[in-house]
Amino acid sequence: MERLKYILIVAVCMLFLGAAAAKAEDGDAKKGETLYNMRCLVCHGKKGDGNGAAGVLRKEELSGRVLEIRPRDFTLGLFRFRTTASGCLPSDDDLLNTITNGFPRSFMTNLKSLPVEERKALRAYIKTFSSRFAEDPPCEPIKAVKPKWVGTDDSVKKGQVVYKNMKCWECHGETGKGDGPKSNDIKDDWGFPILPFNFLTGELKRGSTPEAIYLTFTTGLDGTGMPSYEDSLNEESRWNLVSYTMKLMGKLDKKEAH
Amino acid sequence: MHSRFYLSVMLISALFVMAYLGLTGYHALMPEWKQYQAEFKDTLVKNAKSEAAKKKAMAMPLGFTQVYLSDLKREDRCVNCHAGEDNPLMATAKLPFKQHSGNYLVNHPIDKYGCTVCHEGQSFATNKKEAHGLGHEQTHWDHPLLPLKYAQSACVQCHDIAMLSKNGGEKVAQGEALFKEKGCRGCHKVDGVGGDLGKALDGVGYQPIAYFPMKHVAGEHTVYNWLKQHFDDPRAIVPESAMKVKLTPEEVDLLTTYVLSFRPDEAPRKYRRIDYTSMMAKPDGETLYKMYCVACHADGTKSLYNEVFKRTVPAITNPSFLKTIDDKNLEAIIKEGRTGTQMTAWNKTASGLSDEQVSGLIGYLASKRPAGPMETFGLAAFKGDSKHGSEIYEARCSVCHGKEGKAGEDYLGISLRSPVIQKKIDPEMLAVTIANGRAQTPMPAFVKDTELLTKQDVADVVSFIKEIPVAGK
Repeated sequence: MERLKYILIVAVCMLFLGAAAAKAEDGDAKKGETLYNMRCLVCHGKKGDGNGAAGVLRKEELSGRVLEIRPRDFTLGLFRFRTTASGCLPSDDDLLNTITNGFPRSFMTNLKSLPVEERKALRAYIKTFSSRFAEDPPCEPIKAVKPKWVGTDDSVKKGQVVYKNMKCWECHGETGKGDGPKSNDIKDDWGFPILPFNFLTGELKRGSTPEAIYLTFTTGLDGTGMPSYEDSLNEESRWNLVSYTMKLMGKLDKKEAH
Repeated sequence: MHSRFYLSVMLISALFVMAYLGLTGYHALMPEWKQYQAEFKDTLVKNAKSEAAKKKAMAMPLGFTQVYLSDLKREDRCVNCHAGEDNPLMATAKLPFKQHSGNYLVNHPIDKYGCTVCHEGQSFATNKKEAHGLGHEQTHWDHPLLPLKYAQSACVQCHDIAMLSKNGGEKVAQGEALFKEKGCRGCHKVDGVGGDLGKALDGVGYQPIAYFPMKHVAGEHTVYNWLKQHFDDPRAIVPESAMKVKLTPEEVDLLTTYVLSFRPDEAPRKYRRIDYTSMMAKPDGETLYKMYCVACHADGTKSLYNEVFKRTVPAITNPSFLKTIDDKNLEAIIKEGRTGTQMTAWNKTASGLSDEQVSGLIGYLASKRPAGPMETFGLAAFKGDSKHGSEIYEARCSVCHGKEGKAGEDYLGISLRSPVIQKKIDPEMLAVTIANGRAQTPMPAFVKDTELLTKQDVADVVSFIKEIPVAGK
């Protein structure tokens, strides 16, 4: 009898704690809204549709081509940089990563200086812009485990064949300068022109680790012309392509020099 | 048996030696130029229309000739092979006997001007390889034969551009116009006037080949190839170059021709026909804007982040900008430059630009200013609290303008950290900009229509910006 009472008390406490936790999540979104209005609104807009007061950001590439950059529209729930399969929502960690680290060359600054609770609050608020976060079931993150042979000459050679056969060069160009024959006609899902990545301009937006490159091939960049190759290339081919990409980025040369 | 073997070896070697001596002798008696002359003579005889002409052609003596030019310090021996340069009968002949194109020789007879003064090459040489001087590794000649498309670069030695533009120097004149139009002097000094981002270009077209980093140049290592390929893609030739240039292939050739005309030495006085008054013309504000500003600011209507400079280049002819900044503040920015950015200080000492020219520039910018009163904020009525300002700055402004105003790579805003901002610019101008934003740029209005900040907040931010420690260059 005594024992049952304890169990009951514990159960009631758990219930309250759970409710409090759920409440905290709500409170998070509210706190997030204040933070959002302070730091994000100017670009991403009141409604999270990317139509902030800053408007279109203009950038002149090395090639002299002027590219218009639009802040991310959160309302469609389409995100480029995910660890989840193509078409899935990003995981909570993915969103937090983006908020924390920002993206190079896109004017999305990092918010490393904010305490992690505030960044989580921002995440909670950003998730309210698209109903997908409430409707779609979450997807399992894909784990990238790098085989030892990535970056070897043999792998680079095989990757080069994949690069040719899968027509990566049509957009990214023969030497990875992003100047392939189709590079001028690519548009994103919103209908705005975008550029294929030039491997020689610097770090990739999600980071230039082999794992990050592998994830891009596997998950695709939703909303852009970069598809997922999860179904069309086996794991080995994707890792070979990682090797060749790193070669084009000049990441393998340094190792040779040492 | 043995003796016969040795005898035959002896005989064969003797034959070799004699053949060699014979060949050497033949070469001495019939050098390359003599063979060309003989061929030229044959052509003349064959092409002769009348008996008299034929007779005259057959009587033509073969022999070494040269044009001695004491003032130009040259002895041109080109005519030994290029024998038909002034012969109308050779208009359609093959090289080297073809008549000179155009009517250049009418006013520049070969006996007074020679050839190399325009075409370059090694004037003393008596064979083709050395005379043309190509292949620097073997000939070590710094000024090899210029391709014909660049030949007009030589005209500038003695003539002014105004005259050349109508009288056979069209290409070099168009190159000069392009040089102004593309704003080359925005970064490069010529005659001590220009920006300081690039190298001064005085004499650059006639520098020795070793002056240029030739490592990435494809084909013949010559100055003109360096210039051409550098105009095609500066970073392919000089990987660390920050040069912004986008040219059509025709424009590349025109600019190459013009830059080749930059020489360290002047032609001897008696050869010069330069009308210096034509060079005294004072460029108007718009021309000055093109010469010194357009390379970075383009037409100045929209701000643009530049991947080469790794920062945003402000829109300076934008009405919204001009309505917030008066001529005095414009002058302060232009003359002081923006330390820590690519913006040159356009004052007399640093850039060679005269005060008069700076006023010309400001006049041009002011002509773009919309009519009506300047936008005002009324900052004098507020007392700024820089501590509160710094908190707002951190949350609202640092996203684009960077911590403590130090924008740069990957920052959309312009740098707010330079002596001219902290010390010279009227704080009122900063306040108007924050409150009303700037159309055609990503700078939003923080008070007007949006009410993201109160006017007091703006005053606080301004006093914070004015207190940012000034960074040295």
